[in-house]
Amino acid sequence: MEYLLHIFIIVAIYTILAVSLDLLCGQSGFLSLAQAAFYALGAYTSALLAVRYCISFPAGVLAGMTVAVLISFVVSLPSLRLQDDYFIIATFGFQMILFSVFNNWLELTRGPMGIPGIPQPVIFSWHITSHLDFLILAAAFACFAYFVVYRLTSSPFGRVLHAIREDEVFAKAHGKNTLRFKVTAFAVSAALAASAGSLYASYITYIDPTSFTVMESILIISMVIIGGAGSLWGPLIGAFVLVTLPEALRFVGLPDAIAANVRQIIYGSLLVIMMMFRPRGLVGKYGFNK
Amino acid sequence: MNQILLNGLVLGVYYALIALSVSVIYTPTRFFHFAHGAVFTSAAYCCLACRSALGLPFWLAALLGVAAAGLLGMGLEFGVYRQLRKSRSNALVMLLASLGLYVVLQNAISLTFGDDTKSLSGQEVAEGIQFLGGKITPIQLWILFGSAASIVLVLALFKFTGFGKTMRAVASDSNLARIQGIKVDSVILAAFALGSVLVGLAAVLHAGDVGVTPTMGLNAMIGGAVAMILGGVGNHFGAVVGGILLGFAQQLVAWEFGNQWQDTTVFLILIVFLVLRPQGLFGTVFKKAAA
Repeated sequence: MEYLLHIFIIVAIYTILAVSLDLLCGQSGFLSLAQAAFYALGAYTSALLAVRYCISFPAGVLAGMTVAVLISFVVSLPSLRLQDDYFIIATFGFQMILFSVFNNWLELTRGPMGIPGIPQPVIFSWHITSHLDFLILAAAFACFAYFVVYRLTSSPFGRVLHAIREDEVFAKAHGKNTLRFKVTAFAVSAALAASAGSLYASYITYIDPTSFTVMESILIISMVIIGGAGSLWGPLIGAFVLVTLPEALRFVGLPDAIAANVRQIIYGSLLVIMMMFRPRGLVGKYGFNK
Repeated sequence: MNQILLNGLVLGVYYALIALSVSVIYTPTRFFHFAHGAVFTSAAYCCLACRSALGLPFWLAALLGVAAAGLLGMGLEFGVYRQLRKSRSNALVMLLASLGLYVVLQNAISLTFGDDTKSLSGQEVAEGIQFLGGKITPIQLWILFGSAASIVLVLALFKFTGFGKTMRAVASDSNLARIQGIKVDSVILAAFALGSVLVGLAAVLHAGDVGVTPTMGLNAMIGGAVAMILGGVGNHFGAVVGGILLGFAQQLVAWEFGNQWQDTTVFLILIVFLVLRPQGLFGTVFKKAAA
């Protein structure tokens, strides 16, 4: 039972990440490889505040989101001027830079030694210690992320994002300041990813940079793409499939030592197969084939 | 200081070779072939396997590694990318597929060989040779001259032969090339073969110098892509210059701030270039959103 709850908590955390990335890549057509970096920013900010200054969990989450939004401007203002694949390379660059900072800024992050002993969240008088409590919290966060992205995409703001995805020049011709819309979408996406990070840090109670590599970014992208970009159900399904499928491997008796590799091989091949036979994903509407 | 410049030169020529290989594939296909990094790693590991399992001499193992890289590159193009082009996939779909391929190949390698760094030379550490006022190991000398020779050869191939001309034709406009009776798919296959052989060469030389790890390819591929963007996309000579500059920049930063910031340098340079001069040093093609 505990194990099952654990799986659902992980699914909820990845749902936040996938839904937040969908705002960017499904709704606005910009694939970002930096999502794990914002995930890391949230995790590190709230973890450091909690461990060093005993800041409470809600404040830590807000701080993490704020930091992610500020950094997202640094990332997006230069790189969102770029087109498709150049944007991906630029976000890849930021992902690598941030990873390198987390790994090498020993005074702040303790580098590869990581941050142990992150306190479990306490929200007002609710002490979250059991798996069930945590699942409720994670589900609440996921619903919040889902709701934010849903509201945004069904608003006039979302329609401009769709217009940018379909034809940016056309959106500009209609007098939309497309850069502003893209930067806003990127900031919201970063903030949501950061909230997932805070959640992860306080759940596992230990973080180190290896949880936030570019492979993690590729995994999040795969969830969005395999589930189906541009439809809100897609990322949810993608997160569920890509978290539970490798777990199923445990039951066929695969040793843990190779499970991580096999997991990545599975999502890598799924990504290739989807691109070849169903580029819009399982339930997606949008196939990146403009 | 001489030593740093010499190290920069060796690293620069290595990057130049990778940048050229990335450029050879990117210019006719117009998408970032991330799995190129996995081709790099595969070549290095093939070389390692030939050395340790079959006990072949280094030069023969290296040759087999390079050949394996060429075959793998062609296989990827034939098995995946060609099918994607048939269904008129755009650059993003191709890029995503190549990311998937990269993930699969890298993990297959770490499953087979393990995650640790393995040394390939097998011999005792060779003593440095005095060269241009600094010390250099024999394998670094090989990197320097082997890479430089192949770069010159490939640049000449593109400039002076009919084959190079068809390559350039496909790169500048594949539809027009098709109208002229050029078999575009064959040319792209050849580009994959050539690019993969070049990156394989860089891989085995690098492996001989510092050993192999399953994740080595991604950094190499990204270094090459950054160097290509620096030099100017579509210009092979520019890619080579970009690679050499990148090598020097990395060594200078490593000397000034420490080794751990080398990757950061690469990406800071990339972002500065993407923002200020997206067409690169020698490029003419803008890839900016219409302003």
